[in-house]
Amino acid sequence: MRVLLRTLSPLLGLALAAVGVILVIEVVAAWLRPGTNGLVVPWPSWQAALTGLTWADRPVIVVAICVAVVGLLLLLVALLARRHDVALTAPTPEMTVATSPRVLARLVGRTVRESDDVAAATVSASARKVVVRAEGWPDAGGGFGELTDTVRDRVATLLDELPLARRPRVAVSTRGRKEPR
Amino acid sequence: MSTPTGTPDTPAPPRKVVRGSRRAVARSAGTDRFWLAVLGLVLLAAGTLAALLGFGVFGAGRAARPLPDPMIVDALRAQQQLWRWVAIAAGVVLVVLGLWWAVRSLRPERRPDLLLEADPDSTLLVTAGAIAEAVADRAAALPGVGRARARMVGTSSTPALRLTVWVTDEADVAEVCRRLETEVVAEARDSLGLAHLPVAVRLELDSVTHAPRVA
Repeated sequence: MRVLLRTLSPLLGLALAAVGVILVIEVVAAWLRPGTNGLVVPWPSWQAALTGLTWADRPVIVVAICVAVVGLLLLLVALLARRHDVALTAPTPEMTVATSPRVLARLVGRTVRESDDVAAATVSASARKVVVRAEGWPDAGGGFGELTDTVRDRVATLLDELPLARRPRVAVSTRGRKEPR
Repeated sequence: MSTPTGTPDTPAPPRKVVRGSRRAVARSAGTDRFWLAVLGLVLLAAGTLAALLGFGVFGAGRAARPLPDPMIVDALRAQQQLWRWVAIAAGVVLVVLGLWWAVRSLRPERRPDLLLEADPDSTLLVTAGAIAEAVADRAAALPGVGRARARMVGTSSTPALRLTVWVTDEADVAEVCRRLETEVVAEARDSLGLAHLPVAVRLELDSVTHAPRVA
């Protein structure tokens, strides 16, 4: 999302500047030479075309909805383009230590997969929550209680070892494997 | 394993130093996000209001009026001189704002060089690249660190250091952070004669290694 923000920002800035330049040129041109059909954009013919349209006409409503959707998308990009770092405890206040949720997810995934009870695991992580979906084999009772406990214990041990500024909540879900162990 | 912040015998650094370390984490995108949000809000409001007007929410009579409303057109024509100047001013504001936004977004991040000595005859300047290279080499030599990359950020008067460290699988993260502060950053601070050097450390995993599932 930040890449999109970095790409959109200069383009929109240039677009705004272009609109401003065209506005100034057209106003000055219309002032100095009244009655002409526009220097850069044919705004008198645009004005004539728009005069024949009302707010209730279908093309006007479609364009209005498109403008609103574009505005909503820009707003979403602006809101979602924040950093999602996971803060770690620093040894001094002069230092800030952070890592990405991807790194935390990789660490958790690696730790969980090291267990013999786990056949496969997918992990998603943020500063607030770590979600582990583990696949394994049922225990003697046919349930997955042991597998869940193993995964939860391993994740808890890892989180104890990491100097995280804020301990994330851990959610574990398990699924059985049909293949024999 | 978590390490307490600060030590009781050392005075707390100034607030701007603490802020500097937070700012150094990454290049700020706050201005871009703000203006994008403003533009998005303006488009969303304009589009929604126009659509509602078209659907007759504000009255069927209003929806049936032409787009360039005759009342507004007449009002503009009555004060033509004034509205010309308003339009030109709006155009100039858009040009200035748009160019400022574009230049600010495209401008590379500052990498401040540090002036160590300035005599009438000579000056001693350490380039940002030289500091970054020295710090990165020093950090990469720490146990548990696979590689490291450093970059000076901020300004010449308030420099800061951004350090990206790729730790290995066996690394003790808290110990790596402690040694970065006590050995690498403290050494850089002493060498450069700085009382404070805010540091932002970003930790990455060095490489994907798969532990053997069968012993």
